[in-house]
Amino acid sequence: MAENTNKLIGQNYTTPDIVAKVTGKAKYAEDYRVDGMLWTKLMLSPMPHARVKNIDVSAALAMPGVKAIITADDLPEAQGGGTLGEGVQASNQGEKILTKEPAYEGEPILAVAAVDELTAAEAIEKIVVEYEPLPFVVDPIEGLRPGSPNARLQGNTWFARQAAPPPAGAAAGGAAAGAAGTAPGAAAPPPGAAVAGAATPQQGAAAGASNAPQGGTRGAGPAAAGSAPAAGAAAGARAGGPPAGAPPRPEIQELKWEQADFDEAAKTGHMPTGKPAPGSEWTFGNPEEGFKQADLILEETFVSQSTGHQPLETRSAMAYWQNGKLFLYGSTQSTVQTIGSVARWVGIKPTELVLVSEYTGGGFGSKIPGAISMAIPALLSKKAQAPVMMRISREEEHYIGRARSGIHSRVKVGFRKDGKITAIDLYAVGDNGPYEAQGDYRSVGNTVSLCYQPAHMRFRGITVLTNTPPRTSQRAPGGMQGNGLMEPVMAKAARKLGIDEVEIHKINAPHGKAPFGPAVARGRQAYVTSCFIPEALDKGRELFNWDEKKARSGKRVGTKVRGCGVAVSAYSGGSTGFDGLFVIKPDGRVQFQSGIGNHGTHSVIDVHRVAAEMIGADWSLCDVVWGDTSKNLPWTSISAGSQTTHAMTRAAHAAATDAIAKLQEIAAKMKGGNPAAYKVGGGKVSGPGGSITLAQAAQKAIELGGKYDGHELPTDINGLTKASAAKLAGMGLMGVAKDNYPRDGQTQSYAVGFAEVEVDVETGKYSIVDFTLIADVGIVVNPRSLQGQAFGGAMLGIGHAISQKWVYDQHYGVPLAKRFHYNRPPTILDKPVEMKFAALNIPDPETPVGARGIGEPPVGAGYGAVMNALAAAVGDEVFRRTPVTPDVILMALEHGGQRQHEALTAHI
Amino acid sequence: MDFLTWGRNPWGQRILTHISWDLFWAALFAGLMFLVAHASYMILSSNRKRAKAETDALEAANKDLPPLITRHTFMARMFHWVMAFSMFALLLTAFLPIVGIRFAWVQWHWMAGLLLTASIIYHIIHAAFFMDFWSIWIGPKDIPEFRHEMAAELAGSGDGPKTGKYPLGNRLYHLALVVVGLSVSISGMLMMSRVRQPIFQRNPYIMADTTWGFTYVLHGACGVALVGLVIAHVYFALRPEKFWITKSMIFGTITRRQYLEHHDPRRWNVRSGAAGR
Amino acid sequence: MAVIRDMMPVFELFQPASIDEALNLLDAHRGDVWVLGGGMDSFDWLKDRTKRVSTVVDLSQVGELRGIKEANGGLEIGATTTLTEVVHHPVVREKFRILAEAAEMVASPQIRNQATLGGNVSQDTRCWYYRSGWSCYRAGGNICYADTPTAINREHAILQQDRCVAVSPSDTAPALIALDAEFVIRSTGGERVVKAEEYFLGPQIDITHMTVLRPGELLTAIRIPATWANAQFYWEKVRDRNVWDFPLVNVASAMKLSGTTISDVRIAVGAVAARPLRLTAVEAATKGKPRTEETASAAGELAIQGATPLRYNAYKIPLMRNLVKRAIRGNAQATT
Repeated sequence: MAENTNKLIGQNYTTPDIVAKVTGKAKYAEDYRVDGMLWTKLMLSPMPHARVKNIDVSAALAMPGVKAIITADDLPEAQGGGTLGEGVQASNQGEKILTKEPAYEGEPILAVAAVDELTAAEAIEKIVVEYEPLPFVVDPIEGLRPGSPNARLQGNTWFARQAAPPPAGAAAGGAAAGAAGTAPGAAAPPPGAAVAGAATPQQGAAAGASNAPQGGTRGAGPAAAGSAPAAGAAAGARAGGPPAGAPPRPEIQELKWEQADFDEAAKTGHMPTGKPAPGSEWTFGNPEEGFKQADLILEETFVSQSTGHQPLETRSAMAYWQNGKLFLYGSTQSTVQTIGSVARWVGIKPTELVLVSEYTGGGFGSKIPGAISMAIPALLSKKAQAPVMMRISREEEHYIGRARSGIHSRVKVGFRKDGKITAIDLYAVGDNGPYEAQGDYRSVGNTVSLCYQPAHMRFRGITVLTNTPPRTSQRAPGGMQGNGLMEPVMAKAARKLGIDEVEIHKINAPHGKAPFGPAVARGRQAYVTSCFIPEALDKGRELFNWDEKKARSGKRVGTKVRGCGVAVSAYSGGSTGFDGLFVIKPDGRVQFQSGIGNHGTHSVIDVHRVAAEMIGADWSLCDVVWGDTSKNLPWTSISAGSQTTHAMTRAAHAAATDAIAKLQEIAAKMKGGNPAAYKVGGGKVSGPGGSITLAQAAQKAIELGGKYDGHELPTDINGLTKASAAKLAGMGLMGVAKDNYPRDGQTQSYAVGFAEVEVDVETGKYSIVDFTLIADVGIVVNPRSLQGQAFGGAMLGIGHAISQKWVYDQHYGVPLAKRFHYNRPPTILDKPVEMKFAALNIPDPETPVGARGIGEPPVGAGYGAVMNALAAAVGDEVFRRTPVTPDVILMALEHGGQRQHEALTAHI
Repeated sequence: MDFLTWGRNPWGQRILTHISWDLFWAALFAGLMFLVAHASYMILSSNRKRAKAETDALEAANKDLPPLITRHTFMARMFHWVMAFSMFALLLTAFLPIVGIRFAWVQWHWMAGLLLTASIIYHIIHAAFFMDFWSIWIGPKDIPEFRHEMAAELAGSGDGPKTGKYPLGNRLYHLALVVVGLSVSISGMLMMSRVRQPIFQRNPYIMADTTWGFTYVLHGACGVALVGLVIAHVYFALRPEKFWITKSMIFGTITRRQYLEHHDPRRWNVRSGAAGR
Repeated sequence: MAVIRDMMPVFELFQPASIDEALNLLDAHRGDVWVLGGGMDSFDWLKDRTKRVSTVVDLSQVGELRGIKEANGGLEIGATTTLTEVVHHPVVREKFRILAEAAEMVASPQIRNQATLGGNVSQDTRCWYYRSGWSCYRAGGNICYADTPTAINREHAILQQDRCVAVSPSDTAPALIALDAEFVIRSTGGERVVKAEEYFLGPQIDITHMTVLRPGELLTAIRIPATWANAQFYWEKVRDRNVWDFPLVNVASAMKLSGTTISDVRIAVGAVAARPLRLTAVEAATKGKPRTEETASAAGELAIQGATPLRYNAYKIPLMRNLVKRAIRGNAQATT
């Protein structure tokens, strides 16, 4: 790449929020205090599945200091309808804020507000709840056995109802947040994607983070959906009935496999496979034919674990009501995209909410539209008529804090002698938790199709309800699991075929506008905007020093043996159609309105440097407003699904383009000449008649009014942006526009991971001695932050490979590991000793800035690379599940390298 | 004093775990108090024996009986002492740790329990097929004897119906032991599934939490009851006026005179031989 | 009563300034008192309301319980001396290195700054069933949830299982046993001194206590004799993560050599049973033998005699075998 001549884009800088963070002055949700504030504690279900028969709160209410108690009886009425654009779907079978039919141990039953937490806790001890235990299941495969208990009274999986063709123009009024991923309102939904959209009722947001191919191959769906006014959609919902374009509501039904399916599996030692969920099956090409062409066929079963998101900040929240408005201080990933979800949960209009979330201590997908539990202090505050603070403990976070769907999978892969994959037959079973359908299992299929480019592929899957905590998308949902399933197969095939592991990945790598997934239109697959995985593999081979490390791989020195491995991954890398909004003020400062959440990725600030660069503003004169929905924020993408950098640099680009045109016109008006002859840069607008400063231009814009200072607004921007811009009108020169840039293909980002491990064969203990990650994420906006995200994402995947897990007792259906220690997320000393990073920095051709998201692809790359390094060190048959802990390795080595771990049992 | 100990199962439900060990102290105290009370009463009361002349006459009339009459066969005695041994082992291994004398008691306890159970099974078969099964049980025909015993105790009367092979007190004791012993043995066998032993797979989940609670309480209550019963048994075995019975459990026989003095030959006919085993 | 966690109930807190004051308090509140050292174990129990007392005696103000003194060529370490202080003490590092190594592998730096040596050896087991607050044997109930056909017991015992299959979590305990340390216990009735290996109890002896400490008693100091100063030491802890993790298995050995012959040796293993195990059979079998791979291998095999796996912890048997082998073999790595 040519040398970066940009002043801001691609340059490191200190973000304006950082000092407060490192000095402890940053205010997170639980740091707020207001007069008369009460505290709340939750009573959680002690059983994995039960019916609450009676609640006696009299003794608790009689205690001095106890102010109010809410139970499921105090909730606003559930609103019918599909995904409405708030990132949530109201379903009478979905998750409730509080429940009388708990479907997992730890589900909130009631909440007590009292003068302090101690009183609230003592009050809870005095409350008598009578439970009737119901049948339960904590293992998805067990939940498919004939005659096994169902996690819900209605059944064990979600069935999508037959989708009716959406009415014309539905996309415009339909799902907004959901649009980014699966575009349920798209004109021509592919068979797979339509169900994915429908079967993801909880979160369009989750769908946004899924890796499903989108409906229209030209991105028409998402672009259209971006303009959906959130307020309008929600208002429509309250008016009754699903709004136009809402997908059909899925419902829970029973689907059990045949005993014969289990008998077959018992013989082969593989995961059983039975009937997939309706609509959860697709075929591309002719897999049978593909396998005929294969010289080597490998069939493997792989189990990836469920894990809590475990953000450092739990989902604490504080709420009070003032002048008919709810003021909510919460922890969310997305600022603007949380308005609709909270309004829906609490049962108010979006305009009746002020949400403050300046700092969020991590979300990883668990707080995309905030958290349903935020409604508890809101509703309790209403009842107690006082502010209420709800602090969530680490153990409570285990229960209500969301988790990744563990995936049980079985794959058959055919390889030609030269390493080329001829066909893949894949079955993925998702551990869904008790509530909203999760799309991880589907994303497994799409990720595998994209990363390994089989000409023929069959995908089947099902997501099975279990009485374990609710799942949602966790950074690379399904993508990580897909790489986890395939990568050990790739490494094993490379060894069997005598092909270098990097080479076999290159041979099968996607490149350019690579196709993937099922056929979506005219028998053709969807395709990506761009992909440079082969280049990334070459770059990594060099930076990691692959050839030298490979030479010593598998050779034992003393009790130690090293191994190195490589893995590729891909994940959705951006959405489109959002708005940019900023004001150049007469004092020369530029104020950017950021509706992005501040959960540690810096995109909340980063994206605005694109606009600052374009208008030539001095960064020291730029202010970014964020973290408070009363501060006039524009319609913004969810801060999830690796979407923000892509979506919001586009929006920033659009707004800056708008501002530049206005600056040129003003300069021409002031200095004469043709606007096009004026150049914007260096804090000035210069042209044939001389130059004006940005400050002068802003002053002039106020004088001119109209479109220049925001009194006239573009018609295509979102209603929310319009409302915000209207309040900013007259303050200076306004840059405001919607991202209407075209896009050919679906935006995906890519990463390639290389890892070297050193295993002690006498203990099974190992360390990751070297790790390199190469990112193919387009143009780099903030190098330091990009590297942080790359390593952070890789560590999440590495954590899954080496240690992180859930543990459930099968007899009682209750968790044994529910805090940091026993869940074993990786620590700072478990990180690779050496970590190297490089970004290709090749611009994406389908977005004006050329930048895409980084959040997700590193996860699968880290996960797969470490597993492959382990296999290279100790053997291909040592493990078929993660985490690969020392006991797994030692036991296999004790038994001739053959794995001894349990094949299928979940949560061990 | 609590009678029961409660705990919480993983679902937060209240479950019975044990009897309260206070009951052990209560049983021990009660047993010892009975002993003191009875002994004092025996010393103070004018407990009359049957007239010597009456027995002399009977002995003269029954010269054809052997001088020594078998009361307990070798196998019956073996059973008694094996059971006694295992019972002492069980009580000591059960209650010494509660008293505070700590040692690895569990495997001794279940091994002794197995021995007890085996001896009980043996005894049931033996009694059913090879002994006068009904001689030990109680029925309506025992009412006169009961009335006499009470009268003897309260009024000091020495007359009245004589006993069969087993005196009524003896049989009442046996009945109590049957109930308590079978309960403790059956509950104990179930409880073995909760500890590691080489006989069958450990599985604490063969019964529901509530059922287990009752099982533990039953076992504990029977154990505590046995403390009292054993104290009483040992006490009576050592009392001078009953010692001839104790000796017969060691040596197997009683004298002709003892037979005639204490037993009703119609109810325990040693001549027929049938009941002598 | 409904269960609520993470909220410490009210109790009366005493902060005595001397051992005598502390002992008087323990006596006065016998049966309803909790001794608080660094709090790293205590706070879990108290906050989760699984163990409730009305009185807590905090030892942090008892100066005489804290600090390391040299005595008779050995050391006397006060019970509330922090693990960080133990790790950094020059004599510990110079003469009794395995104790420093073991202490340094406990938990995390923040925890070691707060945790005490007395607390580390006296802490309760980490069995996740027991810690869930259920009525298992160790909690006075009548069941072991960790030893059932479906239990997840990867981190549980392979030896001396007696109803309860929890393990000793301490890292410093095996090191102290290898160093032949003595534990000083005081009560208002006087002082008693027990050998390190006799401080710990298995479930067969006492299923509800991990140590010989009785109500009213306080562990005041740990004495390390000069006997094993500068011996050949071996310490190793295998854990899932490299920081903030309890041992899967740990091992400590102290060895004296004459030439290449093992003239004397002490070895202890942790996390395989409810108490740290001193392997006297291994000691006897290796004494007088040359320090070779063969001796080490035989020692490893001997160590695991009688070990019985549960459903998920069979790996602990080869792990213990290999760690014992290494502890005898020493740091020189095998070349095979």
